Amino acid sequence: MVASMKLIDLVENHAERIAAQWSMLVVKNPFTPFYHGRQPERLVPQAVRFYRNFRKLFMEPKPVEASDGYFTSYAEKRYREGVPLQEAVYALILMRRQIWLYAEFQAVFSTAVERQQAIESVTRTMLMFDYAVYFITKRYGELMKLEWFEAPNT
Amino acid sequence: MSGSLKLVNLIESHAEPIARQWARDVKKNPRTPSYHHLPEETLVPMAMRFYDHFKQMFFTDRPADVSRQYFARYAEEHHGRNIPLDEALYALIMMRRHIWLYAEFQTIFISAVEQKHAVDSLVRTILMFDYAILFISRRYQELIRQRIEEKLGVVNVLRMESPQGAKLGPYRGPIMAAFLLGALALTYYYHAVLGTNVIFTHLLYIPVVLAAIWWKKRGVLVAAALGGFLLLSHLVYLRGMPFTDDVIRAAMFLVIGGVVAFLSEGVARAEEMCRALPMAGGEHQAGLY
Repeated sequence: MVASMKLIDLVENHAERIAAQWSMLVVKNPFTPFYHGRQPERLVPQAVRFYRNFRKLFMEPKPVEASDGYFTSYAEKRYREGVPLQEAVYALILMRRQIWLYAEFQAVFSTAVERQQAIESVTRTMLMFDYAVYFITKRYGELMKLEWFEAPNT
Repeated sequence: MSGSLKLVNLIESHAEPIARQWARDVKKNPRTPSYHHLPEETLVPMAMRFYDHFKQMFFTDRPADVSRQYFARYAEEHHGRNIPLDEALYALIMMRRHIWLYAEFQTIFISAVEQKHAVDSLVRTILMFDYAILFISRRYQELIRQRIEEKLGVVNVLRMESPQGAKLGPYRGPIMAAFLLGALALTYYYHAVLGTNVIFTHLLYIPVVLAAIWWKKRGVLVAAALGGFLLLSHLVYLRGMPFTDDVIRAAMFLVIGGVVAFLSEGVARAEEMCRALPMAGGEHQAGLY
C-alpha cells in the first residue's frame, strides 16, 4: 500500500492539471459525445473532485463502502445532468487513464522497484474502478426505474 | 505484446477450470444475486465463451472493433436472462479477476521479466475491459429501449401515437367530435324523450377516457363538458327527479378523466425518457489513447 503513495501524492498535487487534461480529452472523445461542445473549464471541477477523493478511495481499508458513497453520488450528479450511463462511466475511465498518462509523462515509475509499485497501484486502482462501475450502473438503474414509474412532475 | 502470450495461453488451455471457479463464485457473490439460481451448466459456457474470445480481443490492433460484437452479444444474452446491467458487468469483472487469481495460483509471473509481462498483460486486459463496459452498457440501453417500445406498442395504438398508432393521430379530433355528438344525442334522448337517467351514462366514459389518453390534462375538459351537459340536461328535462345521482356521475367523469390523464402523462414521460436513451454513438477507432 505504501508503495502506491507516490501515485496518490502525484494525483493530489496535480489534480487541477490532470483534470484540465481530462477535460480537453473528454470534449472530443468519440465515446463521450454528450460532453462535446461543452466548455472544458466547466467540466474540470468534477474531475478535480474525483482526484481529490482519490487518496480516500485508494487508501480506505473498506473500499466497498467508500466507493459506494462517492460513486453513487457521482452517478446521481451525472444522471441529473442528463449524461447517458455509458458516457458517465467512460468519462470516469478517461479520468483514470489520465492519471496513468500523467504518471508516465512524469516518469513516476521508472526503476525496477517502482515498476513493482506500479503493478500494485494499477491493481488497487482497478479494484476501485470495479466498484465504481458496479455502483454507478446500479444507481443509474435505480434512478431510471424511479423516474419511469414515479408520478410525473413530482 | 509477446510477453502476454503466457497469460493468453494459460486462459486458452485452462478455460474450463477458470470458468468453473467463476461460476461457483458468481453463484454466491452478494453483488450478483440474479446468477444465484442459474445452474452451473448454464454459467460455465457463458464464461467459456468469454475466455475463448479472450485471445482474439487481446491481440487485435483494433480492440474496440473486435470486442464490440462480442460484448454486444454478451449484453444480449444476459439481458435476455433478465440480469440487471450492474450485475452483468460485475459478473464480467469477476471473469477478469478469475483469470488473475488462476494466473497467480499457477505462479506464471515470477521473475523480473515476467513481472514486466504481468504489467503489459494487465494494461491490455484493462483496455479490453474499458471497451467491454462501454459496449455492454450501450447495448443494454438499446435493449431496454426496445423492450419498452414493444410493451408500449399496444398502448400506442390506443394513444394513436407513433410508431404503431401514428397513422390514426390526425383522426383524433373528428373521432372525439363524433363521440361528443353521440353523447349529447344520447343524453337528450334519455332525458327529454324517455325521461330517465339510468344506464346510458356508462357510455359517456368512452369519450372521457379516450380524451384523457389523447390529450392528457387538457382531455379532462371533455369530462368537464360532458358532466356539465349532463347536469344542465337534468335541470332542464328531469326537474322532478333527484339531482344527486347525476352530480355523482359528473364528479366521477372528472375523477376518471383525471386519473387516466395522470397515467397517460406517466406513459408519455416514460416513452420520452426511453427515446432519450442514447443509441450507439459514432464509429470509433482503436488506439485513440
